[in-house]
Amino acid sequence: MSKEMMSRRDALKLGVLGAGAAMLSASQAMAAAPTEKDVKFDEEYDVIVVGSGFAGLAAASKAAERGLKVLILEKMGRVGGNSVINGGAFAVPNNRDQKQFGIEDSAELFIKDALKAGLGINHVEMLEVIGKRAQETYDFAVKCGATFQAGKKPTWFGGHSVARTIVTSNMSGSAIIQPMAAFVEKLPGCKLMTRTKFDDFVMSADGTSVVGVTARTNYRFDNKLLSDDVENKSGEKKVYRAKKGVILASGGFSMDKVYRQLQDPRIIPTQDATNHEGATAGAMLKAFQIGALPVHIDWIQQGPWASPDERGFGVAPLLTQQGLFVKGVAVDVRNGKRFMNEMADRKTRADAEYVILHQDPKAFPVAIGTYNTFDEQVYAAVEKGLASGVMKKFDTLDALAANYKIPADALKETIKKYNEDAKNGVEDQFKKQSLKDVKGKEAIEMKGPFYGIRLMPKPHHTMGGLKINVKAQVISANTNKPIPGLYAAGEVTGGTHGASRLGSCAIADCLVFGMVAGENI
Amino acid sequence: MRSKKTLFSIGVFLLLSAMSLIGSEAATPSPAKEIPISAEMKEKFPIKAHHAKLSLKCTDCHENQGDNPENFKLIGDEGCLSCHKSKVYLAERLKFMDTLHVNPHNSIHDGPKLYCDECHFEHQKSDNMCLSCHSNDVKLWMRETP
Ligand SMILES: Cc1cc2nc3c(=O)[nH]c(=O)nc-3n(C[C@H](O)[C@H](O)[C@H](O)COP(=O)(O)OP(=O)(O)OC[C@H]3O[C@@H](n4cnc5c(N)ncnc54)[C@H](O)[C@@H]3O)c2cc1C
Repeated sequence: MSKEMMSRRDALKLGVLGAGAAMLSASQAMAAAPTEKDVKFDEEYDVIVVGSGFAGLAAASKAAERGLKVLILEKMGRVGGNSVINGGAFAVPNNRDQKQFGIEDSAELFIKDALKAGLGINHVEMLEVIGKRAQETYDFAVKCGATFQAGKKPTWFGGHSVARTIVTSNMSGSAIIQPMAAFVEKLPGCKLMTRTKFDDFVMSADGTSVVGVTARTNYRFDNKLLSDDVENKSGEKKVYRAKKGVILASGGFSMDKVYRQLQDPRIIPTQDATNHEGATAGAMLKAFQIGALPVHIDWIQQGPWASPDERGFGVAPLLTQQGLFVKGVAVDVRNGKRFMNEMADRKTRADAEYVILHQDPKAFPVAIGTYNTFDEQVYAAVEKGLASGVMKKFDTLDALAANYKIPADALKETIKKYNEDAKNGVEDQFKKQSLKDVKGKEAIEMKGPFYGIRLMPKPHHTMGGLKINVKAQVISANTNKPIPGLYAAGEVTGGTHGASRLGSCAIADCLVFGMVAGENI
Repeated sequence: MRSKKTLFSIGVFLLLSAMSLIGSEAATPSPAKEIPISAEMKEKFPIKAHHAKLSLKCTDCHENQGDNPENFKLIGDEGCLSCHKSKVYLAERLKFMDTLHVNPHNSIHDGPKLYCDECHFEHQKSDNMCLSCHSNDVKLWMRETP
């Protein structure tokens, strides 16, 4: 109370305030997190987790398994944020399936790959934890009920120098999220509340530590607002004490129309993204307000495997990443030529696609391949892609070229050269690593049929966020030390992936550091 | 919610006139004052055709919420399910869609767990949540969301 009056008086002194309306917004703009003296707690838990995605549920499962009383707050009506619409691909460096299929891997190789994609600015100590603990985390997820297509040859994602990715049983993160949510909810004293929004932290009387949160129940996210975080006033206020601390696992901000454009003005509010609507920056910004250190905020990854022919993530990303890109090619429709390593990291590929799209916004490149390129794990998605019209099937290359208006002769020449290089084991012009797998064979089978998908990058993952240490404690800009009582994990944290995250490493990151937060709190 | 349930369980069309005579209200302890539905209100709070056919009154859903429609609150899952039984029951009814993993009441992502009003809105156009990621294929599986 006194704090609030202080700030108004200060504001008056500064001459900011005039009419009543201005006073209101000025005091709002200056409001600092309340302290425990300012509030009355409605309920008390050991741990409060903000967000019900991979990071939040792994943290909650671990903490709950340790016997702690855990409350999970989720602002959306559905559980799981980006995690529950995710493609279910989990990079597990040096995993058992790799060993079974004779694929040699190591934590060091994983870190090297991540650093290359991340342009060297990754926080290596974080990658080390993932490299060391991914298999154990996978086993923990299985213990909580998650199901995977284990025992199959791992799938090979762009930027990885070996195949190391295991896919969930249903090609979606929901095969992890649903059982994990049930796992936590079954443990005594634990609760998951949807449509409940975290609003702010409650600080200790001296303002140094996090001791709880303010929230709103019966909150309804409104996708019609430009900024739901700022404008939405729905719900009823509640205050929860967190005896051991708060774990912030509120995800990334690829759908925050205001904040993402501040980081990259080219991402206009109407730009489609792969994320769920609730992927906004509000919770992360609250942590900055209490001193959390920001890292790499403006590195926003765009998915180079998305398609302009469907909304959001859709089906194209499965059919390109675990399909057309692996043994097939992507060509510039204007000249029928390849323009990138289809298996490069995401930034390299999105940048290459944007070179074309900035010259001609309608010249969406096309990914092309034959059935041999699809991983067994995504066979079920092939029919869906065709039925929905996102992927098209052609008996001949001429028919494909005519459909996408690609010069047919140039396209055939491109594929001929590509196939020759692959067959002869010669490194192709873009040094595509996955061609090693087709030595002696046709990468694109000339008997057809041929499959095509048009490509357009979409904002997908926000690399930046709060700085955490290897114990998932959030580091303060005021002390360069952990903020007592505040932990974070998942996409809301930054630094781990540097400039660009490798595909299938988000599940690894979120589950590993979620688990770490749950262990340490 | 008793009156709604009655409407469903009895052969609706045959008994409609009889009901308006004896009235299910007799069974309701403190009957809410019947709210006359003006043309203006119909426009402001239109109801879905399948509910209109049952001659539902405001207070059949907005029970014990007074008699001013402007102040009515959302009835939540509990309200919907007082007639529509349970989410598992609804998922079962669309079980044939499970084969292609396209049952909206039992999706791969959420199972039979979503809030009803994630997609269904009584007084405005409903919205199909699946569309946010499956814009193309939804029309192959489903008609417009009721
Ligand atoms: C379509 C799609 C497919 C993907 N596929 C893969 C893949 O196959 N492999 C891979 O490794 N990565 C993949 N990713 C990336 C990965 O899924 C995400 O990075 C990951 O899910 C993030 O997990 P999280 O727990 O940090 O956040 P989320 O899962 O997004 O969860 C955060 C939750 O916090 C909630 N929240 C936010 N603010 C508040 C607040 N103020 N109060 C209460 N709750 C709040 C959100 O509503 C959300 O539910 C994919 C991403 C998308 C969008």
